[in-house]
Amino acid sequence: MSTIPFHHVMAAHCESGTITALLNHHGQKISEPMVFGISSGIFFGYMKTPMLAFPSVFSRIRPGQILRNFSKRTGIKFETRKFTDPVQAETELDRLLERNQPVGVQVDFFYMDYFPSWYRIHINVHYLTVIGKNGNKYAISDCYHPVIAEIGKDALRKGRFAGGSMAPRGFMFYPIHVPGEKDFSKAIITGMKNTTFNMLKIPMPFLGVKGIRRFADKIVEWPRYARDMEQLAHEIFKINVMLEDQGTGGGGFRYIYASFLREAAQQMNRPEWNDLSKRMMEIGDGWREISLFASRIAKNRDLGVPKLKELGSLIRARADLEYDFFHDLKKTIAGRKTK
Amino acid sequence: MKEKDILIDYKDHQVVLYAEKTDNSIGPVQTGSYIACYYIDEFLNLMGSLERSLYEKLRKGEISIIYLYMTLEELTVSELALRVKIPLRRVKKHLTVEHFPSIKIVELRRYAEVFNIPLANLFQIIVTKQDIKWRMGYNAESEKEKPVTISQEETDNPYVVFTKPEINQP
Repeated sequence: MSTIPFHHVMAAHCESGTITALLNHHGQKISEPMVFGISSGIFFGYMKTPMLAFPSVFSRIRPGQILRNFSKRTGIKFETRKFTDPVQAETELDRLLERNQPVGVQVDFFYMDYFPSWYRIHINVHYLTVIGKNGNKYAISDCYHPVIAEIGKDALRKGRFAGGSMAPRGFMFYPIHVPGEKDFSKAIITGMKNTTFNMLKIPMPFLGVKGIRRFADKIVEWPRYARDMEQLAHEIFKINVMLEDQGTGGGGFRYIYASFLREAAQQMNRPEWNDLSKRMMEIGDGWREISLFASRIAKNRDLGVPKLKELGSLIRARADLEYDFFHDLKKTIAGRKTK
Repeated sequence: MKEKDILIDYKDHQVVLYAEKTDNSIGPVQTGSYIACYYIDEFLNLMGSLERSLYEKLRKGEISIIYLYMTLEELTVSELALRVKIPLRRVKKHLTVEHFPSIKIVELRRYAEVFNIPLANLFQIIVTKQDIKWRMGYNAESEKEKPVTISQEETDNPYVVFTKPEINQP
């Protein structure tokens, strides 16, 4: 078996990037922002659970939801499978590769040893495309890696069958029906409606815009969760990582959403979305400012209450802007029928 | 954010960010990671400091090696218990030196698999004298530039690993 010819490109986010790459491979022209926007990828949440070592923030919807939402809203069908037996999962993967079918898989990022060790963390929701096999090595197109990578059979198996929360269970997917030319107008509107609902209406105090406000309120309490100043600094650094580095496209996914709005405006001739796109870029700039501020105070160990309050007020300002933004986006799509 | 404002020259960690291009479009830009470029030393120092403090606790018998790897890999006890498929209350015990001997070998294998280390490394810390930071454990990437490289070769026997120190040619 060898490697399937596959156009490898880096992408902002692993899930939307993998879906986009698979669709492009099958001749469906679509951009990553369009996949992200249609599937209502943008979100916000502030979590503190026993499964997390520290309070955590996320700025996109639940992993796996991008694929489900996108498929449901566009009608592009994906074959998806989970396995209990690693051997069966590997056999099925090999069979598909033999048929020249690149396969998207879910893994624990920690075992992807083509990345440097300092970069790898245990997170069960990384997505990549397996594009070939040579002996005991698989060829991987990973959106976060500049070139096609190789991984040993055992490491890939460990990644696909890591336990824990959101365990991958050998999850694999690939498109089985790709329409080629397709009008995504309805899917775009549905995506926007769902996005505004997620950001404004979910009745949970830690999700959507309310989640941003909770983050702003709770950041001053972070020192009480930390073992020491070093851990606190590390966790504050991670705000930058969560907003900029961890596959967000920058500004906590706000820039990629701005790109989606710009593209949607052109496709559907809706100039008002261009204005919203500009506003979303500015909101993204604000998030970037927050992540740079967090890095600076963490580096200087300037993590007293006044600085954390300052950080909190920067975050709160984003909440206000996003509240207005999503209300205005909602107005532009009010009354439009979707499937 | 303008494209020119996000370009960072850092090849070791590339990311894709979306930015406004010169033609006013918004599109993907492949660039170096800002935080990795400007703060990687800080990050490694933090991790190094954490490692050293855990190493001392391990040496004094205040923690088990399970606790050490769990903390380094930023896993919570609940998450670790789910991953090794051992009840939470038992995993909590395994974090102490007192109860470490009660772990079965098959359970240790599961811990080693989750931590992605050879089983033997749950009984030893390998450090090279050349490593000025005295990082514990073996790290292939950081070993490359040192006079001594230690590699660990897995065998078909899951309970045995070959540990091979080698002197690098200048």
